[in-house]
Amino acid sequence: MNNTMNLLTMITPAMMIPIFPLLGFLILSLFGKKLGLMSGWIASMAILGSFLCSINLFIGLEGDQQLNFSIFNWINSGDLQIEFGFLIDQLSLIMLLVVTGIGFLIHLYSIGYMHHDEGFTRFFSYLNLFVFFMLLLVMGNNYAVMFIGWEGVGLCSYLLIGFWFKNPDYNNAAKKAFIMNRIGDLGFLIGIFALIFHFGTLDFIDVQNQLTGFESNAPILVFITLMLFIGATGKSAQLPLYTWLPDAMAGPTPVSALIHAATMVTAGIYMICRSNLLFALAPYTLHIILIVGVATSLFAAIIGIKQNDIKKVLAYSTVSQLGLMFAAIGLGAFESSLFHVMTHAFFKALLFLGAGSVIHAMGGEQDIRKMGGLSKSIKITFVTFLIATLAISGIFPFAGFFSKDEILAKAFEHNLLAWALLSISSMITAFYMFRLLFLVFYGQFRGTEQQAKHLHESPISMTFPLMVLAILSAFGGFFGLPAVFDSTHQLNVFLAPIFNASKLVTTEVHALSHSQEWMLMGIATFAALMSIFFAFSLYIKKQQLPENDADLTGFSKIVANKFYVDEFYHKVFVNPIMIISDLLLVLVDKLIIDMVVNLTAIIVDALGRLYRLIQTGSTGFYLIAMVLSMVIVMFIQIIL
Amino acid sequence: MNTLIYTSVLGFGLMVLEVLKLRKWISPAIILGLSLIFGINIHDWNQPGSYMGNMLEISNFTVAFNALAIFITLLIAMLASEYYSDEEHHISDYMAIMTFVLCGAQMMLGYANLVLFFIGIETLSISLYALSGSKRFDAKSNEAGFKYFLMGSFASGFLLFGIALMYGATQSFDLNKLAEYAMGTSVSPLFLTGLLLVLFALFFKVSAAPFHFWAPDVYEGAPSIITAFMSTLVKVVGFAAFYKFLHVFGYLIPVKFDWLITLVAILSLVTGNLSALAQENFKRLMAYSGISHAGYLLIGLVGAAAFPSSAILYYGLGYSLSTIGAFAIAMAVFKSTGSESISAFNGLGKKNPVLAACLTATMLGLAGIPPFAGFFGKFYIFSEAIQNGHFYLVLVGILSSMIGIYYYMKVVIAMYAKPANETKIEISLTNQLVMWLCLVLVLLIGIMPSLVTGLF
Repeated sequence: MNNTMNLLTMITPAMMIPIFPLLGFLILSLFGKKLGLMSGWIASMAILGSFLCSINLFIGLEGDQQLNFSIFNWINSGDLQIEFGFLIDQLSLIMLLVVTGIGFLIHLYSIGYMHHDEGFTRFFSYLNLFVFFMLLLVMGNNYAVMFIGWEGVGLCSYLLIGFWFKNPDYNNAAKKAFIMNRIGDLGFLIGIFALIFHFGTLDFIDVQNQLTGFESNAPILVFITLMLFIGATGKSAQLPLYTWLPDAMAGPTPVSALIHAATMVTAGIYMICRSNLLFALAPYTLHIILIVGVATSLFAAIIGIKQNDIKKVLAYSTVSQLGLMFAAIGLGAFESSLFHVMTHAFFKALLFLGAGSVIHAMGGEQDIRKMGGLSKSIKITFVTFLIATLAISGIFPFAGFFSKDEILAKAFEHNLLAWALLSISSMITAFYMFRLLFLVFYGQFRGTEQQAKHLHESPISMTFPLMVLAILSAFGGFFGLPAVFDSTHQLNVFLAPIFNASKLVTTEVHALSHSQEWMLMGIATFAALMSIFFAFSLYIKKQQLPENDADLTGFSKIVANKFYVDEFYHKVFVNPIMIISDLLLVLVDKLIIDMVVNLTAIIVDALGRLYRLIQTGSTGFYLIAMVLSMVIVMFIQIIL
Repeated sequence: MNTLIYTSVLGFGLMVLEVLKLRKWISPAIILGLSLIFGINIHDWNQPGSYMGNMLEISNFTVAFNALAIFITLLIAMLASEYYSDEEHHISDYMAIMTFVLCGAQMMLGYANLVLFFIGIETLSISLYALSGSKRFDAKSNEAGFKYFLMGSFASGFLLFGIALMYGATQSFDLNKLAEYAMGTSVSPLFLTGLLLVLFALFFKVSAAPFHFWAPDVYEGAPSIITAFMSTLVKVVGFAAFYKFLHVFGYLIPVKFDWLITLVAILSLVTGNLSALAQENFKRLMAYSGISHAGYLLIGLVGAAAFPSSAILYYGLGYSLSTIGAFAIAMAVFKSTGSESISAFNGLGKKNPVLAACLTATMLGLAGIPPFAGFFGKFYIFSEAIQNGHFYLVLVGILSSMIGIYYYMKVVIAMYAKPANETKIEISLTNQLVMWLCLVLVLLIGIMPSLVTGLF
């Protein structure tokens, strides 16, 4: 009894979580012009409010308690009933904390980063709208509400990538992101329709309860999960739909940090974790996910080596890390994947914000060949960036070490090939991240005189989020200590209610022995250190610089050009569609439709002109016409 | 009953004010008076009754349409106080006559006896003849008044003759008796001919083709405010009276005369929409638009026995509000530019974006585009007609509303795509108030049609 009462009191804070950013968005879009720089603070406070409510829920919900409530009946059609409701459980709580917590820090950072921009209030209103939709996505208690959030974040992502809409390249990048996401969304939608068709409901819990009767690998489950996974590949930038994410770096850097590193791109993983029992019952799909994840991870990491734009390096690194998370899902290790989502959110947000601070100091320069030696002039940025780099490279005891190690250990249990490839990918990651670090912060300054004078540390509103994130990146890994440290894996314990059911249906592999775990950790650390040393010798000792694009040859040229995937897509998909639409324009639209339409218009117009002649203006004629029609009517009436 | 009495009193009172040299108080008096009458009228809701030896009957149908008629007159009176402000020495005449139009309208809505029906129509018509010619020094206005009078008296003659024939067949003017007779086994040709003549007169009043010829000339020549008044009040009241008349005789008229109403509906739709295409004058355009709207409403009267009156009320409300809103803006434009052609609106979108947006909204409302009331008005009529099996009629209706969009858009295109002329448009506060009132209401009932359709 006490428990239910307790739960009921928590509906209000749960409702407030999405309402805060929605209010923020409304206020900013209605009164933004008058608010000026205040708008940044209003937006940040809105997110802080959501964050505090999330903490309230986090403290209030105990054990495996869930808060599942409906706000109104949304769609009623025949047997199908879809509610607009929220589900707060351990899974959504983790995401809520990440989204609102990091979201708040990034809002704060943006106040400093964007304060020269003329679109300041517009930026914050979009940002608040994004957080609102992201919260809907995370909190929805069925696939339909999740889909609203899913589409909403896609829209905001589009708006924010094209934020500086005067540059046509940025607009193209925004359109590309939108279209690629639409391809994935189509899969997601088909999956949703299939769910309605077979289960008659979209409610997460109802679907899960109905799953008990299904065999592993039942064709319908494989189909549904594959479709949902296609949706996830779009949103989370996996092969083959990943090319929009690097282009999405056209948006302001805080956007890259919030949307394209920490939150939106992990929506695909969240969605799969949400449906974990569904996926656990479809091992075929899991196998495909594993293949796609490993391939994406390796592929993107290789491209990352040859990128010279500071944000592009981070973008490919994000794609690669997302691949790692999908690989974890493919191995059936949903909670490990989620662990990495969390730590990745910390250090990748930090890396992007640090990159933003560097760009800010350099007056907008993004090419790492024109930086160098920045560690002296922007100390806080340097130290935090270093921590994040250590974290992503998987150096003990930083956050990335634990989460990455956990996934690698799971891979070692299930599939040796996957383990080997993921390890290589991790090595490459360590290499290109330290290449970035060395080129930006060490050696001689290679920019212009003017830039050298302009160099300065960012204001406190920007460095404060960096420091908080640095702490999280450094210690965030302790939420999930591996078994060898003889302590509880807090995250797994916390998430246990979510994944218990799917644990029962996945094939159990005997756990690794402690010596094996030590060995794996040793290998991973050694490999990372080797990579760092290699990068050190190249870029510090030999003081090498990346070649100019024109001087590249052979394989490195192919890598620098991202394996020509964009060009390939352009030739194979975009151009044929353009040709077909040109053809349709000339043949169908101009020739047939226009002719039919214009001809109709001409005929109707001519009739109108003719008809007008009856209106002569002579009263006598009018009266005769009236009387004549009466006579005719009477005549007909008599005949009838 | 009370409504009618107080409305007449208000009319006389306005003339008394003139005599007492209290000219300044005339506009406030009519606005206040009509508001009070509106309240008195609402008071009769759910209190049906029959008065004056069953001459007049009050039902919810009467109250609802009365309310609409009073509201239209109120809006027009507000606009008129502005419109006639520079012709002050006659304002009491115009205002009083307008009130008498409303009296006639109330009789047409509440008649239970054909004599009262005739008196109502005549009160309304004669007042309007005078109003149409109320610009005494304008030849066009004079022509309009005279043409209207000439043709109107023709129609009145038919109406009177029709009523006389019906009396000859039944020895009664009382609607109940007439209804009884119509339900009987044998109906004499005399009675049917009488019915037919009354129908002709009603077609004339609602300006349905081929009895529409007066409308464009009169609408163009009459003062703009009277055009707005005629095109809304007369049309709505005419249709309500028409609907009531058809209902009295149960299935007699649908059985005998559905073919005629169908034919007139189609003719009105075709004539109204096609002729409107070639118009350059805004008021003439509105006249043809009015003819086409008569066509849509006539679709609702085919097989009227099965048709809900709330659909006509809804349509009438949406149409009237859009039209008055459009005229509130148009009158300001006419006054500033001195021209009544569509080109007077050129470049309004640049000069005065708010006005242009509002006029666009009213035009979209008339064209029947959601979320404005015009859309659901058409939707109800079409869906009822489909349910009654009049598929071809609906097809004609939909095709002609497609043509309708074209000429309503002509005004919009003039505002946004044509280069602006120099004159600045000034719009008074009253006109703005009426405009916003109309727009808000049109949107409100467009989004929540059940506010009106749920009445009865």
